[in-house]
Amino acid sequence: MTATIRNRLLSTLLVLFGVSLIVFLLLQLVPGDPAVTILGSGATAEAVAALRTELGLDRALPIQFFDYLGGLVRGDLGRSLTVNAPVTDIMLPRFANTIILTVAALILCIVVAVPLGVIAAHKQYSIFDRVSMMVSLAGASMPVYWFGLLLIGAFAVTLGWLPTSGMYNPRFPGGFTDLLAHLVLPAIAAALVPLAVIARMTRSVMIDILQQDYIRTLRASGLSTNSVLWRHALRNALPPIVNIIGLQVGYLLGGVVFVEVVFGWPGLGQQLYTSITQRDIPVVQAGVLFIALAFVIINLLADGAVGLLDPRTRRKVGA
Amino acid sequence: MRQSVTRLHATLLSVIVAIAALAGCSRGPVQTGNVFVIAIESEADILDPQVAGGWVSWRINRQIFEPLVDEDLSMPSSEATVPPLRPGLAESWDISDDGLEYTFHIRKDVKFHDGTPLDAQAVEYNVRRMWDKSSPMYNARAAGQTGFVWKFLDSVQTVDDHTLKMRLSQPFSEFLRMLAQGGNGSTAIMSPTALQTYGEDVADHPVGTGPFKFKERIRGERIDLVRNDDYWGKVPYIDGVVFRPLPDPSARTAALRSGDVDMIAVPNPDSIDNLVSEGYQLSEGTPPHTWYLSFNMKDRYTSIPEVRQAINLAVDREGMAKDMLRGSVTPAWGVQALSAGGYVERKDIYQRNLDKARQLLASVGLADGFQTTLITSTDGSGQIMPAQMAEFIQQNLAEIGIKVNIQTQEWISYLGVWARGMQDGVGMAQMSWGMTSPYWLYIVTSSELQAPNGPNVGYYSSPALDKAMNNAIIALDPQEAEQWWRRANNIVSDEAALVPIVNDKAPYVLAPYVSGFISASEEWYDLTSVKLEQ
Repeated sequence: MTATIRNRLLSTLLVLFGVSLIVFLLLQLVPGDPAVTILGSGATAEAVAALRTELGLDRALPIQFFDYLGGLVRGDLGRSLTVNAPVTDIMLPRFANTIILTVAALILCIVVAVPLGVIAAHKQYSIFDRVSMMVSLAGASMPVYWFGLLLIGAFAVTLGWLPTSGMYNPRFPGGFTDLLAHLVLPAIAAALVPLAVIARMTRSVMIDILQQDYIRTLRASGLSTNSVLWRHALRNALPPIVNIIGLQVGYLLGGVVFVEVVFGWPGLGQQLYTSITQRDIPVVQAGVLFIALAFVIINLLADGAVGLLDPRTRRKVGA
Repeated sequence: MRQSVTRLHATLLSVIVAIAALAGCSRGPVQTGNVFVIAIESEADILDPQVAGGWVSWRINRQIFEPLVDEDLSMPSSEATVPPLRPGLAESWDISDDGLEYTFHIRKDVKFHDGTPLDAQAVEYNVRRMWDKSSPMYNARAAGQTGFVWKFLDSVQTVDDHTLKMRLSQPFSEFLRMLAQGGNGSTAIMSPTALQTYGEDVADHPVGTGPFKFKERIRGERIDLVRNDDYWGKVPYIDGVVFRPLPDPSARTAALRSGDVDMIAVPNPDSIDNLVSEGYQLSEGTPPHTWYLSFNMKDRYTSIPEVRQAINLAVDREGMAKDMLRGSVTPAWGVQALSAGGYVERKDIYQRNLDKARQLLASVGLADGFQTTLITSTDGSGQIMPAQMAEFIQQNLAEIGIKVNIQTQEWISYLGVWARGMQDGVGMAQMSWGMTSPYWLYIVTSSELQAPNGPNVGYYSSPALDKAMNNAIIALDPQEAEQWWRRANNIVSDEAALVPIVNDKAPYVLAPYVSGFISASEEWYDLTSVKLEQ
């Protein structure tokens, strides 16, 4: 087991190194000078050059990159070029906000998609099955951005049930209930695509399992339909479902940009959007690293969970 | 099985009911709590007024900080095309006869929000931060931003607690108005105590003298200001202001409709009519904003004066303003915006006349037209809808035989390309900008500021223009300066060196219960008169 863990950790580090290198190089290739952005169109060439020196942008690329790596090891992600504050100060609160949104979307996904998939599999080819799969496919095909605006228009503006944007009320920022109210619409918008994927995956896995002999045996031995479906069949379907959920988290983390911009949710995605347009290289690098790290860790956990849920994989690992 | 479906339904139903209960039922009248909430179009820069760039940041910083010389923004554009100067932290000033020495009398009994008293030493401290390389508080970024203001400053000296002398190396007629500017940095005065205590982190602790004090900032979420009850001037009616960044225009409109915010910036041109018919208020003016094209004076076609004149006569400014942009802009009939000093209306140069345009082209043997390239961005601060506007111009110019290729780039990339100066093959480059000071014209057309050393990206060089502008700058009498600026404007128009197209009206949409918000002829606003009726 430890060998696997060691290997996984090593590959995690390699992935992170690779990601930071690629992002760094790509940002150098993209046109646009942060110094010009900061000083604006009225700046003289001298002012721009002076700022570039101050920001360390005129040093050789390998030096800039290795400086950056050295900082990473110490937990120092550099200073934002546009805000003149440590990147960690900017990114950590944002990251936390995105996690809140991602977790909410994920919970929504799982709570809706898994039962949906299970019931659709049980009632295969019924109206419920066809309609639910079609609706989920339709939801997944809709542009998240547009759907978000639709949700705002319907539930926030017309019906007035929920707030239009942000994490807290701008006038009277409240506590947990305020946050929950603000979470609902963005979480729904963010959950749309993963919901469809998880639902369909659950359905196909369940269909496979429900056709197995041991299911028939369990039914024959007198267990209720509910018990067979939810306690036994689903349990065996969990490994691939958990796998898919792990991958969908990656999608959620990356795709949350649109949702954050439309709903004004102060998360990592919104910050990345701003920082990319401003060529704030340290912030963009940190953002991408956070997402990569989260994705790798979550999939590590998902694989671990699959190992726990499925004794067969555990035996393979031991051997 | 039916049980689990029923259970599922029941769960979903109870979730919906819980949410509805959570959020409250019907929409009652908006309770503002006397806090004015503004949805702004992008996150603001840092709250260091001397370093921050962009109008968005200055609109916020201007509530906390004040410059020595200010602009009176209490009159709407319809009453004052150019906002008059008025005393800020300097309650009066004397200018020597030779125009070289400015003596500022600093306002008495004024304290910064942290209790530090305002005196001449505090002002000098701030000036040196932006100008004196040898001073320990020198800030290179602040100096880069405010370079145009302090260009001719020779020395600054505290005479006594409330008297500050500044000496210039040459007369600078626009010095006072430049002190009132913001947008590319500003000369607003910050608390020296805060500067000394917080150093590099001073932007997290903005301490000024203005009508509002800084309370809290959560990036991406809010910037919270509260009323300064000890303000030396007119104390605001509202208890506080919240600036909420919402980059998406539809989200801003939704926030206004739902009562989450009281005012929105940069509304969708399409949504304005609907909002007004629903009872919301539209506030707009004539800020010093010009959306214009520069000509490449090194290009074989656009270097010919008749070609430039023809292009200016072919653009349908009224059509663009009325049909394409639904009246959210005004056609530009002068080189500078209406709110800039020295404005001269020249419809003979800028009003559409296709026959004359064709004649001009024919007179230089280009009756069959030619091909050229126009560069612009896809979006950006103040750019309105640049790609679509460029296409409109492309169609206009096609009518006189000129084939225009449009090259667009994302805003930041475009800024870099624009600042480098026009390359071969590019005939026209677009930008949007402006100041109430006519000094702006000098910045964009002076032969000394040709790219890459400045924003004269078309390499325009006119000795007559340089001379006129120089005379305007060193003129000691404001009337004389005004005359020279008008002359400069006329030279630029006669030589058709630029193509001013439209001026933005900077529309804001406000909730019906907001009163006292005034759109003066400036890019920023005064919030001390705003009242919330509920």
